Amino acid sequence: MELRLSYLRNGESGIISSVGVGLGRGRGEYRRARRGWGFEKRLEDMGLTPGTKVTVVKSAPFHGPLEVIVRGSRLAIGRGMAERIFVEINR
Amino acid sequence: MKNKFTVALAGNANVGKSVIFNQLTGLHQHIGNWPGKTVEKAEGTLHFKGYTIDIIDLPGIYSLSTFSIEELISREYIAVGRPDLVINIIDASLLERNLFFTLQLLELETPMIMALNQMDMAKKKGMRTDHEKLEKLLGIPIIPTVAVTGTGIFELLEKAIETIEKRANTKPLKAQYGKEIEKRIEKISNLVEKIQFKYPARWVAIKLLEGDEEVEKEIFKIDPLIVSTAEKLRREIEEIHGHSCSTVITSERYEVASRIAREVQEITLPIKPPMRERIHTLTTHKIFGYPIMAVAVLSIFYSIFTFGDYTSGLLGDSLFGLKPIFEGMLGTGVVGKLVWGGVMEGVIGGVTVALPYILPFYLILYFLEDSGYLSRIAFLMDNLMHKIGLHGKAFIPVMLGFGCNVPGCLGCRIMETERERLLTAFVVTLVPCAATTVIILGLVGAFVSIQWALTLYIIDLLIILFLGRLAFKALPGEPTALIMEMHDYQMPHLKTVLKQTWFRLSEFIKMAFPLIIVGSLIIKMIEILDLLEPIANVLNPVTVTWLGLPAITGITLIFGVLRKELTLIMLATLLGTTNFAQVMTPTQMIVFTLVAMLYIPCIATIAALAKEFGWKKAYFITVFEILFAILIGGIAFRLLMLA
Repeated sequence: MELRLSYLRNGESGIISSVGVGLGRGRGEYRRARRGWGFEKRLEDMGLTPGTKVTVVKSAPFHGPLEVIVRGSRLAIGRGMAERIFVEINR
Repeated sequence: MKNKFTVALAGNANVGKSVIFNQLTGLHQHIGNWPGKTVEKAEGTLHFKGYTIDIIDLPGIYSLSTFSIEELISREYIAVGRPDLVINIIDASLLERNLFFTLQLLELETPMIMALNQMDMAKKKGMRTDHEKLEKLLGIPIIPTVAVTGTGIFELLEKAIETIEKRANTKPLKAQYGKEIEKRIEKISNLVEKIQFKYPARWVAIKLLEGDEEVEKEIFKIDPLIVSTAEKLRREIEEIHGHSCSTVITSERYEVASRIAREVQEITLPIKPPMRERIHTLTTHKIFGYPIMAVAVLSIFYSIFTFGDYTSGLLGDSLFGLKPIFEGMLGTGVVGKLVWGGVMEGVIGGVTVALPYILPFYLILYFLEDSGYLSRIAFLMDNLMHKIGLHGKAFIPVMLGFGCNVPGCLGCRIMETERERLLTAFVVTLVPCAATTVIILGLVGAFVSIQWALTLYIIDLLIILFLGRLAFKALPGEPTALIMEMHDYQMPHLKTVLKQTWFRLSEFIKMAFPLIIVGSLIIKMIEILDLLEPIANVLNPVTVTWLGLPAITGITLIFGVLRKELTLIMLATLLGTTNFAQVMTPTQMIVFTLVAMLYIPCIATIAALAKEFGWKKAYFITVFEILFAILIGGIAFRLLMLA
């Protein structure tokens, strides 16, 4: 099933299906999709591209960021960002 | 034959780039900013076998897109600055992600060699890397290095010179994308080849497909048709893949990097989790992480300020001891007063206020950063910092601001985007520093009540919360979010840390001292010319009418620009008593403290702001805070009169 990365339990892994708000059809929507483009691009540049395996190690308390392992490196991802990453997992 | 070269170092953050830079350049370094930017530019010169080589240390980045100014500066420098050679430094223990960046550098079609660094770390992690195979696959010379021990540095230099001299006949790899993408890259690059542009045509084509706004803007000025064609082709790719074109290209580039990494590296995972893993788990633990952090942060704080206090007192005493000598030489006339009171007291102010705190601050900051603990603190504090519109990394500069705003402002460079940097610096200048705390406690705490002192502190924190959020909303740009690598814990390289500290410190002296001296000279002149009273009178409408303070306070607030605690000292001098209760009402004391707390970052802080952000922004923040302090002070005065 498809979940937001922030909903994964500690130690769970998933395959990234998409990052960010996705693409709309019209021009306006396209532009809206490009807002926040910087951070989507950033996530992808750090290796969180669709099809990549990502493992949630743990999350910081008080709704803090997530610690994830992706492509052999350890990243901290703010919760707001993690909510925009969709992953496919088998539960 | 040319024997003067420029070599740029490029690579991800935390790959040992600054260690290699320091190994290469020794004590010939110049640290400044990139023109008009808040990004640090480190340059150094080295002499080797009769060659003079200028080394430019490019910022540590993960990509060449437009996410941060660092990325823009780097690609701009490589394309326009045309260094003779780029040395790509990569972390052998994080091959895949590092190669992703290497592939992008190769797309810039610049002469390049690679330092395969952290070979020892990779080995410890059970990774066996075949660097000869990697060399063949990438088509560029590769030297394995262990920067911290200096292994491979000599070979790296030899290879650099050899490559520049021979104008290498190597054939660097061009990352191939899917057919449907390659076809479109070719179409666009054919168009781009017809125009004159600083970047290689293929690179421009890829960036246009990725929707890179900077490239789009510049190409649009030359030939808008290319941009619209690229946009059409980009949509076609998006139709095929169902993802944005930039996503598709990034994925495929990572695919290439991943394939190469798998081909050249064998991994046998160690059975027992190593020490650094256990430290990581402990220091980011949801329960233990916080007390550990509290102890660490408090001891940092404590050590910076004990060292600072002690050294500051020592330096102050010995420098003030020079006063009779100066007076003996220059007399106590106008010249003597100007030289001693203006120049020397300015110097003493700078030496005793700023230096003793900045020196340990830089040392500790680099230790925290290089060891990896800084990123763990950011991880733990991210949520709290979001409340004031910042993210986890800002915790360190803001916390340091409580001691002294100057290191706080300088520490803002650890933030990633220009916007985050400015927001953090703004918040830092509002944080009550040690000198402000002295005023709060010495005036309100001693003569009104300790509850009121605490209330003022809380009011200040609320103001930070409010203004931080407001600035966050008002300043255009991307929302603040944390995406940060937490690299493995490692022992910082002492020599690099010391050198980094030394060069930053001397930069600060060069920047701040002239300002501090001029400032104190001006105030001394005003004093000598007997202008204090007239100026206080000019300020009367503000100080007396609006704020309800004694007229004399106008003067003390002017002196506070030099050092905030001077406001209190001057108040005592001018009023002729240290029992402030005799000359000021509690309301006046509270209003006065409130204004002193908010009204201006002291001159050293302004210098730090100007150094990091340029004069315009420093000026803007200063003026804003003066007006804001007066506004709040006046409101407080009226509210307190009602109560």
